[in-house]
Amino acid sequence: MDISSNLVRPMDKLLFPFVSIVGQEDMKRALLLNIVDPGIGGALIKGEKGTAKSTTVRSLSQILPSRTAVPGCPFGCDPSRTDRLCPYCAERFASEGPLPSEEVPMRVVELPLSATEDRVSGTLDIEHVLKTGEKRFEPGVLAQANGNLLYVDEVNLLDDHIVDPLLDSAAMGVNYVEREGVSFSHPSRFVLVGTMNPEEGELRPQLLDRFGLSVDVRGDRDTAKRMEVVRRRLAFDSDPEGYTASLREETESMRRRISDARAALSKVSIPDPVLEAVVNITTHFGVDGHRADITMLKAARANAALEGRPAVIADDIRAVATPVLSHRMRRRPFEEEAFDPEELETCLKGI
Amino acid sequence: MPQGNLSFPFSAVFGMDDSKRAIMCAAVCPRIRTVLIRGGPGSAKTVLSRAAGDLTGRRVVNVPLNVTEEMLFGGMDAEATIREGRAVMQRGLLSEADGNILYVDDANLMDQRMLASLLDCVATGRVVVEREGVSGEYACDTLMIATMNPQDTDVSPHLLDRFDLCAYSDFPQDDVRGREEILRRNSAFADDPEGFAAMYADEESELRAGIDRAKRILPLVTISDDLLGVAVELAARVSADGFRGDIAMAETASALAALNGRDEVLRKDVEEAAMICLAHRRNYSQPPPPPEPPQQQEAQDQEGEPDREPPEQPQDDRQDDRDDSSEPPEPPEGEPPDLPQDLRDMLDEMMFEIGEQFRVIDYLQDGRRMIRTTSSRKGRRAMAESSDSTGRYARSRIPEGRVSDVAFDATIRAAAPYQKGRRHGGLAVSIEKQDIRRKVRERRSGCTILFLVDASGSLGVRRRMAAVKGAVLSMLRDSYVKRDRIGMMAFRRDSAELVLPPTRSVEYSYRKLEELPTGGKTPLGQALVTVGEFMTSYSRSHPGESCYIVLITDGRANVPLREGADANEESRELAADLRIPQVRWIVVDASTGYIRFDNAERLAEELEGTYFRLEDLNADRLADSVRSVIG
Repeated sequence: MDISSNLVRPMDKLLFPFVSIVGQEDMKRALLLNIVDPGIGGALIKGEKGTAKSTTVRSLSQILPSRTAVPGCPFGCDPSRTDRLCPYCAERFASEGPLPSEEVPMRVVELPLSATEDRVSGTLDIEHVLKTGEKRFEPGVLAQANGNLLYVDEVNLLDDHIVDPLLDSAAMGVNYVEREGVSFSHPSRFVLVGTMNPEEGELRPQLLDRFGLSVDVRGDRDTAKRMEVVRRRLAFDSDPEGYTASLREETESMRRRISDARAALSKVSIPDPVLEAVVNITTHFGVDGHRADITMLKAARANAALEGRPAVIADDIRAVATPVLSHRMRRRPFEEEAFDPEELETCLKGI
Repeated sequence: MPQGNLSFPFSAVFGMDDSKRAIMCAAVCPRIRTVLIRGGPGSAKTVLSRAAGDLTGRRVVNVPLNVTEEMLFGGMDAEATIREGRAVMQRGLLSEADGNILYVDDANLMDQRMLASLLDCVATGRVVVEREGVSGEYACDTLMIATMNPQDTDVSPHLLDRFDLCAYSDFPQDDVRGREEILRRNSAFADDPEGFAAMYADEESELRAGIDRAKRILPLVTISDDLLGVAVELAARVSADGFRGDIAMAETASALAALNGRDEVLRKDVEEAAMICLAHRRNYSQPPPPPEPPQQQEAQDQEGEPDREPPEQPQDDRQDDRDDSSEPPEPPEGEPPDLPQDLRDMLDEMMFEIGEQFRVIDYLQDGRRMIRTTSSRKGRRAMAESSDSTGRYARSRIPEGRVSDVAFDATIRAAAPYQKGRRHGGLAVSIEKQDIRRKVRERRSGCTILFLVDASGSLGVRRRMAAVKGAVLSMLRDSYVKRDRIGMMAFRRDSAELVLPPTRSVEYSYRKLEELPTGGKTPLGQALVTVGEFMTSYSRSHPGESCYIVLITDGRANVPLREGADANEESRELAADLRIPQVRWIVVDASTGYIRFDNAERLAEELEGTYFRLEDLNADRLADSVRSVIG
């Protein structure tokens, strides 16, 4: 019997279309906002098992916009940001002037749980450095992630010594590799997306803080919706190419919506009352630090851009308040999260 | 046990209908990729998995339990790297499994993090390697058959859900005729494997032909909206989380229809699918399937194929054995509004059937069920790294400072890419300081603390419970850092109940604590027996873990185990006899009032435990005291 004949080769296997995922609007929105403005700081998706967390994140690759990169640069440097170049590109820029540029698709780079730290940060060949005075660096996942989306499934199960370099890069946008007095650094700016099932244990607080947005997903209990989920899945599984092709139009328009939003982002205005409301909200809910303010503002602006609005309005804040605040609210241990939409409304009255 | 090249024929495996059905479905439907067989030792799990290889003409690739991430997923090929002077990837076992069957025996004993990665690779059909200087990706289209013995620690519900199908293969102990038949077939096979195989050759080729035919039919199989609705609703009724159960139901019911030569899913396909799709996804923290509306079981004979008998369900004689605590509560409320009445009836009938079958599973799982009850229970994913050179070599790491425990394989791999350029001085491999890697060894993690709490109404319950809860919470709070597990068992009236199985998860445990009921008599003896049983099994499945039982009581028992015995005398006897490996006792005396009894103190002596007084009922002080003992 020929076994391989009816097996799909996984390399060319298609991913379930993003636009066909039923419901899970909070998760989708959190992800889209981050693509529109990578400065939001990523998204943590917590939820019970089997709620299309991984499927959704992986399928983002279908709708990610393109970006500019220096051709052949292993770190995917953005030629327009000369302040964020890797040592190679920086040297080239210093001697040759403006760098060449090409459009490349933004990718979903996955960090497998079994990754070793040298592959995460990359390795520095000390011997080569000492012998030739040249730095030779073997780029790792953090190099691939630059300018892309870095996805960590089961982020709460990740080893601490892998989390550390991840945190450093997420915080500074630069990956520093130090070994025996020789150091190397390269840009590593990425949208960090983690998924986890809280039943398996919680996330280290430092890592939790790092995520701009946090959403809780649940499976839909509605029979009709669940049937639709199964129907779409069966349709996709029985003919992945055909199914994907039938949604090409929708996928394309989603992609356009994202690139339009990205282009419009800097033009979206933030009226003063909105700014005041944001500060009011974070104060009211007892979230300390400016990071929450900034994240909320950025997320609200990205939301306005995504909705095609010229200015941020109260609805934008409503849409992003929970994912911004939920994991930041200073919770006394074991207290239920107390996010009261009514309190939010009072804060929004001024707009 | 079958030996040699010839394996025991699939069709000759007696019983195990669910397991066989699950494997057949997976053989037909390429989207069903992971099958878990749960059964006690000697329940032919392994035999069946090997037979599945023969049946489907695929090679069975075995994953040994002590497999390293390197071996399983792949890493650097040191030899090729040295030869070529650049990092060359070597694929792991999963590459061999591509197009074949991957067999994982005792999957529950595997490092849970590795199991999570493994399941993800199988589900996505690809393996991503980011290890030791190599980065690559390869295909792994495989059917994974895993087995586990439910008497050992369970796989966490989260990982359990990742298995598309799960069959419970325990053989009813009282089926004497069945056992005889198994024995007969086994000895016939042992005496003359070839002759035995020949006897079943026809059946085997029929099965093969059936699978081939089903593969051709499968793309044509349709499922009506009604039955799809029923399938989805069934999943909802057993409180399965997420959508994996629903999708598995649809796929499996279709595969079963195809195996029966039909292009349309019938009710009985959905029913059979439920057994292998939903039993392991059933959520016990929510109400189990209602057994109420029994129109009756003429359900079975809806166009059945004569050769497919319904699985043996020794249900009736088992019913009485169950104790009251597992009596299913009320059926979940809120009927789906979008199902017409006749479908609802069908659903109820099916639910009844399935409820019965699930109860058999619960019975077979016996005491284990309790451990499965909460979703907060974690697997042993967080193995503690051990700093000395004991424990399992799990992975390697770039060292800080001096290294004594060198990971030779990783060191050589680290040096491999640079061999061409290095001066060797007569050595085959030139290793320099920066190549050195040290071993990271793992041992099951440190510490489990089980609070055994007297929840009887005898004295100052509310204040005491407040202190106990406070202490448990305070300990849970820093358990994340310390990697401790905290559990709680409460005893009152006539039994002891595991309220909170040992967990590190704070959020889930809090709710459990809130709901803790109090009041009633003090069954101290029963509590000692129950905790003894639980912790003995627990420590066995968590080797290397140091366990502490914090007994909080005034020590005044008043429910003897033996009728008429002195409850206090009895509990002291029990305490003296109770020896649980790896477990130490801490007794906290919760008695208050002018007259102090020394019951708790004497109990502590018998248990050879540390004794404290819960003097001022201060939660933080209690937590600190316990911590000081644990160190």
